[in-house]
Amino acid sequence: MTTNRDPDRLLRAFLREGEEELHYQVYDAVRAQIERKRQRAVFGPWRTAAMNKFLPIGLGAAAVVVLLIVGARFLGTPGSPNVGGPGVEPTATPEASVTEPSPSGAADSPEGQHLLLESAESGVPITINIAAPDWEGEPGGGVLCWGDAAGRCAGPPEGAGVIAFDDGDYYVYGHACDWSNMRPDTPATTVDDLLEALSNQGSREASAPEDITVDGYAGKKIILRMDAGYLAGEYDIDDCDEGNFALFGVPGDDPARYSQGPGQIEEVWAVDVDGRIVVVIGSYYEQTPQHAVDELRAILESMKFK
Amino acid sequence: MQEELVRLAQRGDAEAFDSLARMVGDRCLAIAVRILRDIDLAEDAVQTALITAWTELRALRDPSRFEPWLHRILTNACYAEARRRRQRFEGLRIVPVAGAYGSDDYLTVDDRDLLERAFRRLTLQQRAVLVFHHYLGLSISEVATRTGLPVGTAKSRLHHATRALRASIEADTRATPPSQERLA
Repeated sequence: MTTNRDPDRLLRAFLREGEEELHYQVYDAVRAQIERKRQRAVFGPWRTAAMNKFLPIGLGAAAVVVLLIVGARFLGTPGSPNVGGPGVEPTATPEASVTEPSPSGAADSPEGQHLLLESAESGVPITINIAAPDWEGEPGGGVLCWGDAAGRCAGPPEGAGVIAFDDGDYYVYGHACDWSNMRPDTPATTVDDLLEALSNQGSREASAPEDITVDGYAGKKIILRMDAGYLAGEYDIDDCDEGNFALFGVPGDDPARYSQGPGQIEEVWAVDVDGRIVVVIGSYYEQTPQHAVDELRAILESMKFK
Repeated sequence: MQEELVRLAQRGDAEAFDSLARMVGDRCLAIAVRILRDIDLAEDAVQTALITAWTELRALRDPSRFEPWLHRILTNACYAEARRRRQRFEGLRIVPVAGAYGSDDYLTVDDRDLLERAFRRLTLQQRAVLVFHHYLGLSISEVATRTGLPVGTAKSRLHHATRALRASIEADTRATPPSQERLA
């Protein structure tokens, strides 16, 4: 090869060669799969007007009562774990916290009670109270994000978000980066097993688990931090399996939870709701404004199940 | 039109997504095959990427940025595909990249062989930045978006990839006497 020719031109000529037409069988395979696969419900403007269509029919009048609640007592102050006895039963008042949709159809204020997670028959629906602006999510979709004017949401370096799971069985990987070969054969099905597995996950640092009580149900919470090398640029999340720094899988979904960026902190709340483990994760970064972290914890503490 | 298809697909319209896939599929394959240097792996990566795109489409806030977003997913799918195959085989099966060879007289047979060997010695991450920059002609910031890197890191990776490629070519050139045969 005559290396005195323009190397960039050589490279471009080399890259121009090669297959450029996708076989029709791949399109057919994709089409067959998407007919069976649900789209993941994620972020979007929080529209209380749309809530009614997301309420499962089975919730019925009980859900309406929950939605009409105002000023439900929190079970703890923001930033501290919940302790103590069962929560106070809410009282319906004639002054609903659910606002009527505006005629223009514009997004309503998020403040008030909302359905965080809409569940299947055997699952656990979760409602929350939001007491601050800039939080958004698709009602019932299980995901909430702090979307300030810059639209950072759960991304680095200062986003925040909440994601909820009521799958019951959680396969916590032995290692967050090399996770695909370290999926356990059996899932964690108790809060203690789940927290122990999370504490031992490779490439993370874990706080000591703390006892919590949410809506009268016992649980634990733990704060997980990525190995500092990822934030320092020594390691690259892209080099992890499938480019994901993963936490756990659930039946039919691997990984079900993975980080959004280097340095993400995962505050995992695991609650036993009548024998079913509900996991709700608040995520943020060291640079996330403290008020957003406080609002996130207030949301977690406001959770009500069933 | 693509934006409208994205919006429809975000509302669960599989037909719209199918049309969208057919608009972007060829280019996705071209990218994947140039990164992976294997048509079978590339097809699998494209299939995975399109299905992931369907699943995660509601997370795309700006429909006009569908293709860069998809390319990011595709890049990760390429990396995953290579890792999966490495776990099953001793090494990637080295086969020539099939398809239409251009009639560009700029490349000799020796050029092609040397570039192929040198390219395969690069990491997937290095190949990805080279493909996005030199094959698609994207700016560094667009390369960064598609590979999920900060701009500075993308620039640095491109620089190192180019140097590694040249070093590999030069080493091979010193070791192998060139022939002057050109592709007809």
